[in-house]
Amino acid sequence: MSQAPVLELRGIDKSFGPVQVLHDVAFSVYPGEVTALVGDNGAGKSTLVKCIGGIHPMDSGEYFFAGEKVHVSGPRDAAAMGVEIVYQDLALCDNLDIVQNMFLGRERKSGLVLDEDTMEEMAAKTLAGLSVRTVKSLRQHVSSLSGGQRQTVAIAKAVLWNSKVVILDEPTAALGVAQTAQVLELVRRLADNGLAVVLISHNMNDVFAVSDRIAALYLGRMAAQVKTSEVTHSQIVELITAGRSGELGLATGNGASA
Amino acid sequence: MTEVNPQKVSAPEADEQARVEAAAVAPSGPGAGRLALGRITGARHLGLVVALALLAIVGLITAPETFATTSNMVSLLALAATIGVITVGMTFVIIGGGIDLSVGAIMALASVWATTLATQAYGPVVMAICAIVVGTGAGLLNGFLISYGRMVPFIATLAMLVAARGLAQRMSERRTQLVSQDNGALVELSTTRVLGLPLLVYIFAVIVALGWLILNRTTFGRRTYAVGGNPEAARLAGINVRRHTMLLYGLSGLCCGIAAVIIMARTTTGSSTHGDLYELDAIAAVIIGGTLLTGGRGTIIGSILGLLIFTVITNLFILNGLNTSDQLIAKGLIIVVAVLLQRRSLQTAT
Repeated sequence: MSQAPVLELRGIDKSFGPVQVLHDVAFSVYPGEVTALVGDNGAGKSTLVKCIGGIHPMDSGEYFFAGEKVHVSGPRDAAAMGVEIVYQDLALCDNLDIVQNMFLGRERKSGLVLDEDTMEEMAAKTLAGLSVRTVKSLRQHVSSLSGGQRQTVAIAKAVLWNSKVVILDEPTAALGVAQTAQVLELVRRLADNGLAVVLISHNMNDVFAVSDRIAALYLGRMAAQVKTSEVTHSQIVELITAGRSGELGLATGNGASA
Repeated sequence: MTEVNPQKVSAPEADEQARVEAAAVAPSGPGAGRLALGRITGARHLGLVVALALLAIVGLITAPETFATTSNMVSLLALAATIGVITVGMTFVIIGGGIDLSVGAIMALASVWATTLATQAYGPVVMAICAIVVGTGAGLLNGFLISYGRMVPFIATLAMLVAARGLAQRMSERRTQLVSQDNGALVELSTTRVLGLPLLVYIFAVIVALGWLILNRTTFGRRTYAVGGNPEAARLAGINVRRHTMLLYGLSGLCCGIAAVIIMARTTTGSSTHGDLYELDAIAAVIIGGTLLTGGRGTIIGSILGLLIFTVITNLFILNGLNTSDQLIAKGLIIVVAVLLQRRSLQTAT
């Protein structure tokens, strides 16, 4: 469990105009583990994730990947290292089919034209590797899929590229009970396959069900990063709502970070 | 009736496929029925083919002497070729979530620029290149204003429509510029016939085939659908949406330049009045062909069928000596009916 982190951020600051969203945030992600990233609305979870994915440039701070300091200036840089993000709104094109979506932006070609057969084969292999059997046809339009299936496609898209870190932004937010269970099972399987998984969630049951570590953001500061086995449900809720819980958390409610 | 219609009636989809793939350099894989999208649009194409066949029957009944003649078919296809090339570019722009109102004006400007005395001195090849460069340049300027200047496509291309038409008038001093005798080679595109058809019809066919290939078989085409369907998702997937958008308008401008070459060959002139209201015909053809104005969905084949329907209607009205005002009313009705029918077929399909 206690390996070196595959992805590590130190001292991240990020402002949008006059509003500082992230203050000196540190964040580590370990291979083979599910790290839950929790926090109230507006705590900066999505911003932090977009910084990791290269969507937003960071104002200051250091970004380490596999022990080396890197500079990420765009989504392609992050993808090239093996960092993939599955966004809350899923970022799928409804008008394209499953294979087309999975390869969007990184299409396989033979010569000048698209290599549909190879892409379909690789997509099928990836879905099989994730034990996904809920999808009828790979040439189905994404608009015809259920919420859980869409989530599955989005996750499969993320692991298609020998990814090392997969970040899931509220993957179960819009799902029913059975579909939530399916997706959580998939999340666990990703980590068991050796990937580093970051799970953003508001649902404490989900967090405690699958995560190995929990990182709690409070008003743009990292309140605490702890092992799931060492904390209780109510401690995490306190970290989310107040920024501290007993020994854990920020020194003062709104002061310098620990 | 000799050229187009009998085959269409007998085996519409197979004919479409065969025509396109025969013209294509390296067709890869069986396109028909391969994608779910292909099947849905295939059904929609069938409706268009049936409509075209019905129009042809109307033509045979109302103008039996003139409609099915070779000369009528040739003039019909030559007319379709000009707007047709523009329609190909327009299809890309609309699938990519935009609109290009400036196509007719850009074509006029390109034809004027290519027929100035200064340009004509360099011969027909330079004239053609000039038209294409002017068209592409104007298109890229559209794209730049839209993607990097963040202008609404409707406004940016409206501005280009007015400005390009004005520039064309200035350059030509509102006079029609003739293609000189020395540059007769350009006109031969219209007069030289291979297998009974003028060369410019083959140019049109090649453009359609290339457009189909690019849209369906290349990364650029795939990304055009993505950008039109969900630009945010396309951006998150690492696609440079702005650059892609700019290239789409550049492509439309390129098509306008090629259309300018065709119209110079057909009319032996360059004029600021060329291509008046072509933008509306091209947009209407694209819409009738089943492309959604909101972007993300559509086909080249549909657009071309839509265009042929429009062209045949025009032709029928002329052959029967009917009022052109009635013709406009008929076209308007067809647009409404086509869109209503497509909405129904979309609902049943998804």
